Amino acid sequence: METRSWLQRGKITEIVGPLGSGRTSLLVALLRDVTAGGGTAALVDADATFDPSTAARAGVVLERLLWIRGDGRRDVAVAALDLLARCPGFTLVALDAGETSPRLTVSQAFRLRQAARRADVALVIVGRERVAGAGAALAVRTRREALAWAGPCRRPTRLVGMRTAVQVVRNQGAPQAAVEHQWWTA
Amino acid sequence: MVDRVTRVACVWVDAFGAAAVERSEPALRESPLAVVAGTAPARRVTEANAAAREAGIRPLMGEAEAVARCPALLRRPAAEETVAAARRALLDACYGLSPRLEDAAPGVVFVDIAGLERLFGAEPQIAERLARASRSVGLAARVGVAATRTAARVAARLATRTAVIAAGDEAAALAPVDVRALDWPPAVAAALARWGIATLGELAALPRDGLAARLGAAGLMAHDVACGRDRTPFRPWTPPPFWEEAQALDWEIDTLLALEAVLERVLERLTARVAAAYLAADGLQLRLALLSGAHHARALALACPMDETRPLLTVLMHDLAARPPQGPVVGVAVQAHAVPRRAAPGVLGRPAAPAVRDLATVLSRLVALVGADNVSAVTVADSHHADAWMAAPLQPDTDAVATDDTNVTPALAFRRLRPPRAVTVETDAAGRPLAVRGALADVARVVRCAGPWRTSGEWWDADRWSREEWDVALDDTAVVRLLHDPVHDRWLFEGAYD
Repeated sequence: METRSWLQRGKITEIVGPLGSGRTSLLVALLRDVTAGGGTAALVDADATFDPSTAARAGVVLERLLWIRGDGRRDVAVAALDLLARCPGFTLVALDAGETSPRLTVSQAFRLRQAARRADVALVIVGRERVAGAGAALAVRTRREALAWAGPCRRPTRLVGMRTAVQVVRNQGAPQAAVEHQWWTA
Repeated sequence: MVDRVTRVACVWVDAFGAAAVERSEPALRESPLAVVAGTAPARRVTEANAAAREAGIRPLMGEAEAVARCPALLRRPAAEETVAAARRALLDACYGLSPRLEDAAPGVVFVDIAGLERLFGAEPQIAERLARASRSVGLAARVGVAATRTAARVAARLATRTAVIAAGDEAAALAPVDVRALDWPPAVAAALARWGIATLGELAALPRDGLAARLGAAGLMAHDVACGRDRTPFRPWTPPPFWEEAQALDWEIDTLLALEAVLERVLERLTARVAAAYLAADGLQLRLALLSGAHHARALALACPMDETRPLLTVLMHDLAARPPQGPVVGVAVQAHAVPRRAAPGVLGRPAAPAVRDLATVLSRLVALVGADNVSAVTVADSHHADAWMAAPLQPDTDAVATDDTNVTPALAFRRLRPPRAVTVETDAAGRPLAVRGALADVARVVRCAGPWRTSGEWWDADRWSREEWDVALDDTAVVRLLHDPVHDRWLFEGAYD
């Protein structure tokens, strides 16, 4: 799956899906693309659930990733996202909203998009539901398709992978692409 | 013996104890100021600034006599930390021009300037740069340049701002200098006056053996000064990893607003030093001395190296607001861990990193939002423990690269609960989970599970840990990791795969 094309500088991308659908894995893949390419990324983690060790295993260069650990308050996370969106030099600024989506008004979403455009920053919002509405240039929905287990069939010993389907649900100014599939390795 | 240093500059600060006090309280610069030591009524002047000396104040003078001579005289007690911070500041200022320094005494720094002409121009310009660098850290220094440290020190002592003695002219330059213009041990000064020695040239002409016989080691030292010779090797100074700035307070501070004003002055001095050496701070250590005798100590890792006062002050004040000192403050010390400042805006072909000024500003605002402990880059710790990581500064220009592209497979991310949540798990006879209560839904049936995956660590220590990991697919679509602690026989919900 080619994730680089989903990084649109100056625009908002939304990744939505239920817990266990692979939405965070997709975000980590984007962080890897940016940091391994020499860019600087910031992650606003509303619930502080990011796991650095799996991110490092995925290839994220942690030295180029600014991790803002929230205390669960969505308004604070959105304020942090707003600050970072106005700082030129970041290639990617992401908000991991977790299971509880923040309340984002239409005007807030458009202000965020304007800030991202001025600073030439790619904004990514990850959560259970879409919040940016028409402010997002691209929105994808993730869905789990399969799990892979290691060990005896009746008594496996470890989860080894997960297959995710990624469907584009909004792509401003372009036809919707076909569903893409991705295996994530545990 | 003349060592291999061929051109050396001496940076000299007159009445260093008073200059250190003026540095920490700049408003005192224009007033007559004396540093006093001892306990009343036997308190005596140890040093006086130029304005006080003009009014007739001299070292060793009793405080009462000094006040009688100059009623406007301001007195400050001698504070070791103030002098030590000023001494470090002078070294740091010189370190910005040359890496080879000698810390000869408080207020006296020798700088090896051999080869600096290509960078900074001729010797008078180098001397002027050193004087400016010293003033940038709040110390008005005089600079002398010569072939030997002794001659450079005499030149600095007699200069109005800078003085250069050309190579080979040391004897001629020093010969007409009045011996009374220099500080001598009392025995030497008395002997020179008794012998009618008026200039350094006359002192240099005296037989060395005779001086040694009459005055001992002090006589030999005086002869070396008169001849401009060095007898000791150059002892290079190595900058420590932490740069400290401190201020003792004559009064107690019990509000954060008042403490902010003091911290701002301390940080201004610290950042001036760090910036003069082309460095930036990537970590701060704050140590507040409390009236009770205890200390309030905090160590803060900065999310990116900074060299400006305002963002650093914001970080410190937000940390103090979250964890205020437990009592009035009587002393402030701030240490900065210095790292080389980012020199270039980026690397060709690599996306431009955020400008340091922009980054520092946004980070100080983020700290105000979420706290200093919650903004940083991280590194994975070298440990088998599950959630082992350490805060680290953001390094946009690092040369680190991801592991080999061809070997990295898209990894399944894990969302980790901090700390893991205790849950109730129903198990079958073999101990395999059947249902989970309190993880995400009230009750979730286990669709499929894998495990146990046993790990343990630090069994040699009191903090030993042991656990069994279970990967569990639940009927509410989540795939979670459960931990069973066999030691305490309890189940924990560690996080979810996503």
